[in-house]
Amino acid sequence: MKNPLKAFVKSQTGLILILIAILLMLSCLSLATGSVSIPLGDVVTVLQGQSPQKPSWSTIILQFRLPKALAAMLAGSALAVSGLQMQTLFQNPLAGPYVLGVSSGASLGVALVVLAADVMGAQRIALTGSGTTVIAALLGAAGVMGCVVIAANYVRNSVTLLVIGLLFGYLTSAVVNLLLYFSVPEQIQTYLIWTFGSFATVTQKQLPLFLGLVLSGLAIAFAQSKSLNLLLLGESQSRTLGLKLSHIRLIIIGNVSILAGTVTAFCGPIAFLGIAVPHLGRSLLHSADHRRLLPVVMLLGAILALIADLISQLPGGQTVLPLNSITALIGTPIVVWVIVRRQSHQ
Amino acid sequence: MKRLLLLFLGVATALNSCGVKPRSPVAQRPECVQTYRTSQDYFPEKSQILYAQGFQVEYHKHYKVITVKNPWRDAKQTFQYVLVQCGTPVPAGFEQVQVVEVPVRRVAMLSTTHLGHLESLKLLNTLVGMSDPKLSYSPTVQDYVKRSNIPKIGTNASLNIEKVLDLSPDLITTYGTGDPKNDSHPKLLEAGLKVAINAEYMESTPLGQAEWLKFTALFFNQEKAANQRVSAIAQRYQTIAAIAQQAKQKPTVLTGFSSSGTWYQPGGNSYVARLLKDAGAIYVGANNGDRGSTPMSFEAVYERALNAQVWINGSQTWKQLTDVAKADERYQKIPAFQTGQVFNNNARVNQFGGNDYWQSGVISPDQVLADLVKILHPELLGNHQLVYYRALK
Repeated sequence: MKNPLKAFVKSQTGLILILIAILLMLSCLSLATGSVSIPLGDVVTVLQGQSPQKPSWSTIILQFRLPKALAAMLAGSALAVSGLQMQTLFQNPLAGPYVLGVSSGASLGVALVVLAADVMGAQRIALTGSGTTVIAALLGAAGVMGCVVIAANYVRNSVTLLVIGLLFGYLTSAVVNLLLYFSVPEQIQTYLIWTFGSFATVTQKQLPLFLGLVLSGLAIAFAQSKSLNLLLLGESQSRTLGLKLSHIRLIIIGNVSILAGTVTAFCGPIAFLGIAVPHLGRSLLHSADHRRLLPVVMLLGAILALIADLISQLPGGQTVLPLNSITALIGTPIVVWVIVRRQSHQ
Repeated sequence: MKRLLLLFLGVATALNSCGVKPRSPVAQRPECVQTYRTSQDYFPEKSQILYAQGFQVEYHKHYKVITVKNPWRDAKQTFQYVLVQCGTPVPAGFEQVQVVEVPVRRVAMLSTTHLGHLESLKLLNTLVGMSDPKLSYSPTVQDYVKRSNIPKIGTNASLNIEKVLDLSPDLITTYGTGDPKNDSHPKLLEAGLKVAINAEYMESTPLGQAEWLKFTALFFNQEKAANQRVSAIAQRYQTIAAIAQQAKQKPTVLTGFSSSGTWYQPGGNSYVARLLKDAGAIYVGANNGDRGSTPMSFEAVYERALNAQVWINGSQTWKQLTDVAKADERYQKIPAFQTGQVFNNNARVNQFGGNDYWQSGVISPDQVLADLVKILHPELLGNHQLVYYRALK
C-alpha cells in the first residue's frame, strides 16, 4: 500500500463514501441551479423552511426542483439496480432493465390511454403527469412481465427466455405503432414527447407512491444479493449449490418489473442508464460481488441520473433538452470505455 | 387447380387497379382553351400577395409560376410550380419543375387545414381524397364526405400511395417538415403525381396564414373569389385590432402547457405572439425572437406565469379547471388559474379530436382575434360570442 488515498478509493467503504459525497454535492447543485437563477442563500433559506426574498422561489425549489431531483435519484438507482439484476440473471453484459419488454409494456399502457381512446372516439385523457398514465403504464408493464413470468415457468433456458422477452417487446411495439397510425397528430406528438423521458413530470403528490415502490424494489434486490452471487457461477453450478433457479428467476423478474415499470410509469422510458451503470460499478469496484456492488451501483445510478438531468436543463438557459438524448450521450462513452478497458486487461 | 385460379384472380385484380382512369379530352372541357392565341391573357384576374412571406406568384399570358420560398423550418430548398392553362402549350424552360394543368378538377388533401380553403372557395366538389376525413369539423365537409364517400388516404408514414394512385387526382396538397423519411411529397412525386406544398403553418402572421387561401385558389383559377375573401378578412381583422388598441390596459398573457415536463412556448415572432399583440395584450414570451416554439422547463415558465393575468391555449383535453388541476397539481400555483382566467381554443372539437381552430380558424383570423379581444377586453366587444375559445370553469 504505497498510496493510502488510492487504497481508500479502492476499498468499498471508501468508494461508497466518495459516491455519497458526490451525490450530496450534485443534489445541492440540482436544487440550486435551473432556468430561474435563485441566489444560494435563498435556496438554503427555503430548505430551512423560511421564506425567501421572492415567494415564488419557494414554490420553484420545493415543488419543481426538489421532486425532480428526488425523482432523478430514485429513477437512476432503480434502473441501475434492475440492469444489474438482469445482467446477472441472463449472464449477458448487454441485458438491461428493458430487455424483457417492461418499457414496451408500459408504453403500450400509456399508448392505450392516450391514443386508443382517440381511435374509439371516446373522451381523451390528459397525458402530462396525470395519475391515469402512471396506472396505465404500471398495468402495461405488469401485463408484459406477467406473460414473461408465465413463459419462465415453462422455459428452463435463460437465453430462450431472453428471446421470448424480446419478442414480447416487438409485439407490444407493433400494437403501439398501430395505435399511432390511427391517431390525431397532436396526440401522437404528446406520446412522442412522453418517450423522450423526463424527471420533471413527477410532482410532490406522486412522490410517496414512487418512493414506496422503488424502495421496496431496492429492498428485495438487497435481500436477493446472495442468490445473485450464486448465479454468477453459472446456472448448473448454482443449481448444485442448492439454488432454486426457477424460484429465483421469478423473484428477479418480478422485482425488475416493479423497479423499471415504476420508473417508466412516472418518468417515461429512460434509456441507457440501466445498461451502462452496472458496468461502471463493476470496473470501479473491481468486484462482481452483489452485496458490495448493489450500494455502489445504486449510488452511481442516482449520480448519473442527476448529471443527465442537470445537463438537460441547461443551467442558466431557458430551454430544456430531451433527457433520453443526454442519458445516451453520457452512457455510450461509459460503456465503450469499460469494454475497451476490459479488453486491454485481458 | 384451385391455387392456380387464385393466382390468376390476384394477377387480374392487380392489373385492374393499375389501370389509369381515362381523362376527358380538352375538347369536352369548357374550362379549357379550345383555340390558343399567343397574344391573349388567359388570367385576367390576378392575385397579389400582400401578407404571406412564404410564396409568390408570377403571371404570364397562359401560365403562372408559384414559388414556395419557405416550405419548412430552416429549409434549404424552394419549390416551384408552373400552372399552365389547360388547352395551351407547356412553356419551355421548366423541364425540372412540376407542371400542373389548371384549373384542377380532382384534388386530394393531406391536411385538414387545407379543407377550409376549398369550402371557402366553394370548390368542395373537386375533393376526391383526404388524409383523414373524420377529423374535419365542418358539417358541410362532413356531409360532402359522407355523400361522396371520400376515402381516407392517410399522410406521412401512413400514406396509402396505392389508393391515391387509384383516385388519380390532378393535384395533391400537402405540407412538409423537411424530414424525407416522414414527408409525403417525395413518395408522391416518385409515383408521378402532382404535389403542391402548402406551408401556411410557417407564416408568422395571422393574415399571412390566411392569405394561403390565394395559393389554393391559383390552382383553380379562382383568384377573384380568393382576393375578395382575403381582403374582407384583412379588413375585419384590422378593424378589430384597431378597437383592441384603444384598451387602456394591456393584460399579460401566458400560453401553452407542460407536456411530459417540457413547456413548448411560442416564440416572440410567432403567429400566436402576433395575435396577442394585435389583441392588445403583452405576451410573456415576447422577448424571445423565435418564430417557432421553444421547449422550456416548467420552472422557467412558472416564473413568467406569475405576471400573467390570463392563460390561453392549454392542452386540448382541458375542458374545465379541474382537468387542469388533475393534469399537474403545480398548475394551481399559477395566478391566472387561481383567478379563473384560463381560456382554451378547443370550443369546437369533434368527437375524433379534429379541432376547428386549426381548420376554419386558419382562414378566420378575424374571428380568432375577436375571441381574444373579447377575452382580454370584454368591454370593447360587447356583442361578440366566443367562437373558438371557451372559458374553463
